[in-house]
Amino acid sequence: MRHERIDEAIAVRADFRGGRVTPIAFQRRGREHRITRVNARWVDRSSRHPHFCFSVTVESGDVYQLQLRGADLVWWLDSVALEG
Amino acid sequence: MSRDRIHSPRHDDEAHVRPLSADRVATDAGIAGIAGPAGTTSRGDGRVILHVDIDAFFAAIEQRLDPRLRGRPVIVGAGVIASCSYEARAFGLRAGMPLGEAKRLCPQALVLDGHAQVYRCFAEEIFARCREVAPQVETYLDEAYCDLTGTERLHRDLLEAARAMKRAILEATGLTVTCGIGPNRMLAKLVGKTVKPDGLARIEAADAEAFLLDRPIEQLAGVGHAHAGTLRSMNLRTIGDLRALPLEVLVALFGANGRLLHERCRGRDTAPVTEREIPLSISRETSFHRDTADRAELEGMLEYLTGRACRAARELGIRPRTVSVRLRYADGEGGERARSLGQPSDADPVVLELALDLLRRQFTRRVALHALGLTLSNFVRCDGEQGSLFDEREAGRRAALFRAFDRVRCAYGHGVLVSGRALHLRGRLEEDRHGFVLRTPSLTK
Repeated sequence: MRHERIDEAIAVRADFRGGRVTPIAFQRRGREHRITRVNARWVDRSSRHPHFCFSVTVESGDVYQLQLRGADLVWWLDSVALEG
Repeated sequence: MSRDRIHSPRHDDEAHVRPLSADRVATDAGIAGIAGPAGTTSRGDGRVILHVDIDAFFAAIEQRLDPRLRGRPVIVGAGVIASCSYEARAFGLRAGMPLGEAKRLCPQALVLDGHAQVYRCFAEEIFARCREVAPQVETYLDEAYCDLTGTERLHRDLLEAARAMKRAILEATGLTVTCGIGPNRMLAKLVGKTVKPDGLARIEAADAEAFLLDRPIEQLAGVGHAHAGTLRSMNLRTIGDLRALPLEVLVALFGANGRLLHERCRGRDTAPVTEREIPLSISRETSFHRDTADRAELEGMLEYLTGRACRAARELGIRPRTVSVRLRYADGEGGERARSLGQPSDADPVVLELALDLLRRQFTRRVALHALGLTLSNFVRCDGEQGSLFDEREAGRRAALFRAFDRVRCAYGHGVLVSGRALHLRGRLEEDRHGFVLRTPSLTK
């Protein structure tokens, strides 16, 4: 298993109902990745504004880490975990 | 769901560890009134300590983050195992084992570098749940001591309170914790060890002596590999055996630690649970991707580590008096040197000047370095320090400058500003918005 850093802003479709945010799909390089499962969620409070972080599995089976930055509400794709 | 297992370390004798009813808790409190703090004995002084240990912490988080890792042996660490999953432990793997040996025992194990910042976030989430049940919580990287003394009327049933906390932690993080409740820190932790993982156990003060009697000597807090070797060479194998040694002999063998061991083997531990507002030390260390003797890279790394450590100190409003630099050569040898500053300081250049001097004095062999680390300690609060009479204006301007740096880094990430020698790391290390991506960033507080 190896992680590849991506570090780029992305467009995310998300559900904000019930007082919590859940990512549903994101677009990268013109392609939509539908999220099939949110594996884990956590809040990084090491900065002045919280970052809402998610580990998600997409349809292809790849696992991505993404986050919603509390300061500017920009979604950020952190990394992808690749098998092998 | 969490499996609450309240069982005895010696299943043939349930009396050693058993759930306490509320009235029995009240009895414990009564003992405190008689014995008092000075008369603390293995019968307890009315204290109730809850020890919370996160099961296979780093590995469990990696398995949460990536479902493909679940059910597989997972190792987190570089060089040595920092944490491994229970699937890996079934092969005899344990924390601290060299990775080479681990791969030999379990070739199919997946080795991950780890995500220190993610682990901290999960730990804080868990410790927040601990603070909901206890007024005083002392936290470490993957464990916490909660002082439940005096909360019996609030919680009524302490076991139920611990059970509810375990459920809340599982719901919030997906992680399991093991809880031990005892009359002091040592017994709480020790009884928790008997029900890992995802367990819950309580030991009463009155049962402490019998509980400790047959436990292996290594399980006693303060007995590491070296002490255990010495004691085993004397044919002392259980905590009960250790009681045969008089205090004078233990002090002669182990110095001040001998006095502690004399108390602990009798189930006595008076150490309080304290919220450490000021940490004992702040460390930043890493190994290199490739062993190096390049002065520019070494000094660049030291400047980078110094910047990170000083920023952490500034965020806590504390200034270190003592700076130490630790290095390890490629052949495994290493050392550490420490020196104190004339005045406590949290300014990068002041700390760095001393750190560079310590590095130059230590790095004397013609062998490449494998790892480098910096530790700040002996802290004073920024508002509790007597400043220097003549340097105050300069120090004030410098402090304002670093506060500005910190604000920029807080908003845009640590990596947005790179100073002086640390520029030599550019091109040698990957960068992200947290800064340079180190090979083995310190996972310690």
